[in-house]
Amino acid sequence: MTTHPIRVRKAAVLGAGVMGAQIAAHLINANIETLLFELPADEKDTNANVIRAIEKLKKQEPAPLSIVSRAIYIEPANYDQHLERLGDCDLIIEAIAERLDLKSQLYERIAPHLHDQAILASNTSGLSISELAAAVPESLRARFCGVHFFNPPRYMHLVELIASEYSDATMLNTLETFLVTTLGKGVIRAKDTPNFIANRIGIFSMLATMHHARQFGLGFELVDKLTGSLIGRPKSATFRTADLVGLDILMHVIQTMQDNLADDPWHGFYTAPDWLSKLIKKGSLGQKTGKGVYQKQGKEIHVLDPDRETYRLAEQEVDGEVEVLLKQKDTVARFAALRKHSHPQAQFVWAIHRDLFHYCAVQLEFIANNARDLDLAVRWGFGWQQGPFEIWQSAGWNAVLDWINEDIAAGKAMAAVAMPAWVQTIGQQRPIQGVHAPEGSFSPATGEIQPRSSLPVYRRQLFPDRLIDEQPIYGETILETEELRLWHTGDEIAIVSFKTKKHTIDNAVLRGMEEAITTAENHFRALIIWQTEPPFSLGANLQKATERPKTEMPPSALDDFIRKIKKSAQATILKAAHSLDMADVLMAGKLAEVETMIAHFQQTSQHLRYCMVPTVAAVDGLALGGGCEFIMHCDRAVATLESYIGLVEAGVGLLPAGGGCKEFALRASQQAVESDPFMHLQHYFRTVAMAEMAKSAEQARALSYLSPSDVIVMNRFELLHVAKMQALALAEAGYRPPLRPREIVVAGATGIATFKSNLVNLLEGKFISEHDYLIGSKIAHVICGGDVVAGSCVDEEWLLGLERAAFIELLATEKTQARIAHTLKTGKPLRN
Amino acid sequence: MTKQVQEAYIVAATRSPVGKAPRGMFKHVRPDDLLVHVLQSVLKQCDGMDPMAIDDVIVGCAMPEAEQGINVARVAVLLAGLPDSVPGVTINRFCASGLQAVAIAADQIRLGEADIIIAAGTESMSMIPMMGNKVSMNPRIFAGNENVAIAYGMGITAEKVAEKWKVSREAQDGFALQSHQRAISAIERGEFREEISPYTIDGNWPDLNLHQVHHVSVMKDTDEGPRADTSPEALARLRPVFAAQGSVTAGNSSQMSDGAGAVVVMSEAAMQRFNLTPLGRFIGYSVTGVPPEIMGIGPIKAIPKVLQQTGIKQDELDWIELNEAFAAQSLAVINELGLDLAKVNPLGGAIALGHPLGATGAIRVATLLNGLRRHKLRYGMVTMCVGSGMGAAGVFEAL
Repeated sequence: MTTHPIRVRKAAVLGAGVMGAQIAAHLINANIETLLFELPADEKDTNANVIRAIEKLKKQEPAPLSIVSRAIYIEPANYDQHLERLGDCDLIIEAIAERLDLKSQLYERIAPHLHDQAILASNTSGLSISELAAAVPESLRARFCGVHFFNPPRYMHLVELIASEYSDATMLNTLETFLVTTLGKGVIRAKDTPNFIANRIGIFSMLATMHHARQFGLGFELVDKLTGSLIGRPKSATFRTADLVGLDILMHVIQTMQDNLADDPWHGFYTAPDWLSKLIKKGSLGQKTGKGVYQKQGKEIHVLDPDRETYRLAEQEVDGEVEVLLKQKDTVARFAALRKHSHPQAQFVWAIHRDLFHYCAVQLEFIANNARDLDLAVRWGFGWQQGPFEIWQSAGWNAVLDWINEDIAAGKAMAAVAMPAWVQTIGQQRPIQGVHAPEGSFSPATGEIQPRSSLPVYRRQLFPDRLIDEQPIYGETILETEELRLWHTGDEIAIVSFKTKKHTIDNAVLRGMEEAITTAENHFRALIIWQTEPPFSLGANLQKATERPKTEMPPSALDDFIRKIKKSAQATILKAAHSLDMADVLMAGKLAEVETMIAHFQQTSQHLRYCMVPTVAAVDGLALGGGCEFIMHCDRAVATLESYIGLVEAGVGLLPAGGGCKEFALRASQQAVESDPFMHLQHYFRTVAMAEMAKSAEQARALSYLSPSDVIVMNRFELLHVAKMQALALAEAGYRPPLRPREIVVAGATGIATFKSNLVNLLEGKFISEHDYLIGSKIAHVICGGDVVAGSCVDEEWLLGLERAAFIELLATEKTQARIAHTLKTGKPLRN
Repeated sequence: MTKQVQEAYIVAATRSPVGKAPRGMFKHVRPDDLLVHVLQSVLKQCDGMDPMAIDDVIVGCAMPEAEQGINVARVAVLLAGLPDSVPGVTINRFCASGLQAVAIAADQIRLGEADIIIAAGTESMSMIPMMGNKVSMNPRIFAGNENVAIAYGMGITAEKVAEKWKVSREAQDGFALQSHQRAISAIERGEFREEISPYTIDGNWPDLNLHQVHHVSVMKDTDEGPRADTSPEALARLRPVFAAQGSVTAGNSSQMSDGAGAVVVMSEAAMQRFNLTPLGRFIGYSVTGVPPEIMGIGPIKAIPKVLQQTGIKQDELDWIELNEAFAAQSLAVINELGLDLAKVNPLGGAIALGHPLGATGAIRVATLLNGLRRHKLRYGMVTMCVGSGMGAAGVFEAL
């Protein structure tokens, strides 16, 4: 019998501050019983401090909990009364104030209560793990380490794992396995140096940006425009990120570098600029105080003028020529041009990269095991599209190195320290010049290329997050068209992946799907729908229904859709996705062609449902409209927690017609054993009519887009592995498709009237428009089985026919067409 | 015109305290239990009466289903320990059900067909939601435009009344504030003490720490709805619930509630037989229909109708219990008929005291008769608007 590493049956988080409370929430997301500790309150309820923190979690955006109702599972506790309850906990994460003395005292206090296998981990971001370990009672020291989560912990992929000299190797592996599979995190082993990897590099990058902004005389808002999505970083870029993080927190992290890195060549820059200290003194700490680098004045955004110490309108723009340059896709050409260009904005962008590359090269050996760890830490912790070394390498390792050396020699760089020798050496490598090679990434400590971790948990990641130039080989092709590919990895399971933009579904995808399903039936044991990257699918692309040339939607608008999703409750914006590029069809009035496509879509959904081998949808990211309907017609869905699923058609004046309404009518009938299907339909009607988009897989379950037997996966890189296991399990169980339902009991005319009575009150109260009323009535009509006697029995074809007819009727209305056109143009919903 | 052969007297009247719904003190108390309680309590006020002599028990209930279904009147009669010879009937005229029960009881007696009838009402809005557990609309409602108002929620009708009778948000909030202030003051003065029969809530609760059943018993003797902390600012902050640009809020509407009330109606002969003295005399009752989309104005039609029928003049009324379904409709009624504000709901109304739909009529008869007697006044009225467009009004004389 193999002995398993310890199971985390129960966990405790010490400290209910911003990070502690959110970590506790994420543990609950992962189905781990969790105690959340805080100091006892000086009130009647001694747990009042924790309870307030839990209440805050419910309202926080982006939501720390996968579904608000889970808040009750976080058990409040305080250090005075409940320490003995730590005895049941296998993992204790400490997240209290960043003070060695306080942490030491707490470790002393809790140690006697922990069982002898329990792991104690500190979420410190600045203190030395070795110093902390020294403060841990000896018996516990081997089971102590650092786990550094990033804010917000549910969404940021990175967790840095830091060992002390005493940390037990097996314990670290156990914990890493847990963090990866159970919490879904990307774990990077960091060395025990100040601020570890991501913050060390990320904060240096901010300091370098501030320094050069001053040198080149650029306003903060302009710097944010230059250092955001234009260079592959989050839109919040530099200063807005600072405001979001909190200027006091930023200051604290800078101070850690100032205090602990005296011998560092860049030490002189580890200090907060004057304006930053002054803001903090004034209590302007960023978003949490409503004032920081930026300030909202009415509808205008104002930005700090650091010289005058006042706010001014944010209006500086990126130079047109520089913008064109930054949008140049060829990285080699882009960097060459940036370096050459005389415009201060171009010089600025070059300078911040130069010093960042220089810094990373010098620091790498001290802070990380290899270049991959540094790049992934920055990507996962700061949301950059590429890590510093990846950018350097794709810009041409040797050319960039020469330029940096020239600038160092000319005294332009922030530090005069020479590049380490390995930088030169790896530039001579064949065939790839740089730190990243197909077999691994460079490690200065060993002077060799280091492969990825061999820890067994990573075998679950069939296609891990890849670095530059890493071209994953997605198995053997079975069939491939312009729009999709069917492939396998040698294990009798066929995988279909879409190649269309945002994985939308057009006629060609539908044809390909039909072929894929048939092939899977004939030659494989199961079929999985999995995309090589999110989203799962933004739904049907009706424009293609008429095979007309595609009018490109501006990519930025679409990207905005996805960016906004986590932040904004304005989910309606996304609802347009389903009908992307539909405007042309409408203007051409080619409704008949659309109807043919809808029929084709329904046929494909049904084929998925009644396929002779099990079908599994492996879902990550957005799955809207038709994408959601495919999921609903598979035998099983395996979805990452960060799956955003919804039948959002009503948002643009339509209704689900790829089998979504049919499926809800069918489920209501199946649930209504000896009762009225209407009782069950109410929930479905609300979901469809309100165009609800789930903001997590857990919420998708609550909205019935996912069923109780569907599986939620925490780590998206494990998604395909789990989907395969599910597919295999279904196949091994002697899979047969369900029998086609004979008697679907519908709510009929009475059901429609009752839904209308809800709608008419909203209409009379002017909460909805006449057109909303029409859309709602059509949805009611379809899911109630049409104008028939309540309790009538229908079949699936009947319901699908109603879907098609209602869809076309709505599409033919001027108001629906106006909604679609407006949403395509502005990215916002139209109320008409 | 009248075929009346004798007078109908009310000899006893009581009610439970009223709890807030759906999360108030009675959220776990069954409406049939509340009804049993008021039946037993009202009988205690009829010392010496032979329960075998009770001719009928008429109970008003607006959503007579589930916990208050299967003819809750008869169920409660038996559970209350009355002889099985005592019958029971449940009636429904939505918000006027309790008053309608009193009127039917009185008329049976006035016609000489009965001598002793208990009229009551019960409602748990915590357990049975507005419109019942299963809402089902006749498709014919939407076949044309003329009957769509059947589907209107009460809130929408209040908005329509506010618009048509030009009742401002400020006026509604002011009326709501006054309702709370009057109710709080009445409670402080002990005005409800005589009419309320305190209810003891008994329940077994699982104690998950001790793994034992834990018995809890709490006595409730005060209405839960009135708020001493209501202020014009707090009311002004509330958002309209029923219309995007509307004026009707949760603060200026009646509260959802749980409660029950019961009165004993008797002929003179029966009073003499059992040596009982009357609280008051039933004078008359009228009901009328109005357009369903402005159901709140019901009393504007019902009040003149009952005054004409009984020959009592409006200014002879000393006390009017006007059910405050909404401040909007209450003010429309008051203004249209020129009712004396000082005489309308002197102890507060449904905005503060709550409105357990079918029970309200019986409850407010208890309030009215006790109030008139305590303040040595003579004529009083209980009136209300009724969902889907009706008004009801009953006139009483204190003795």
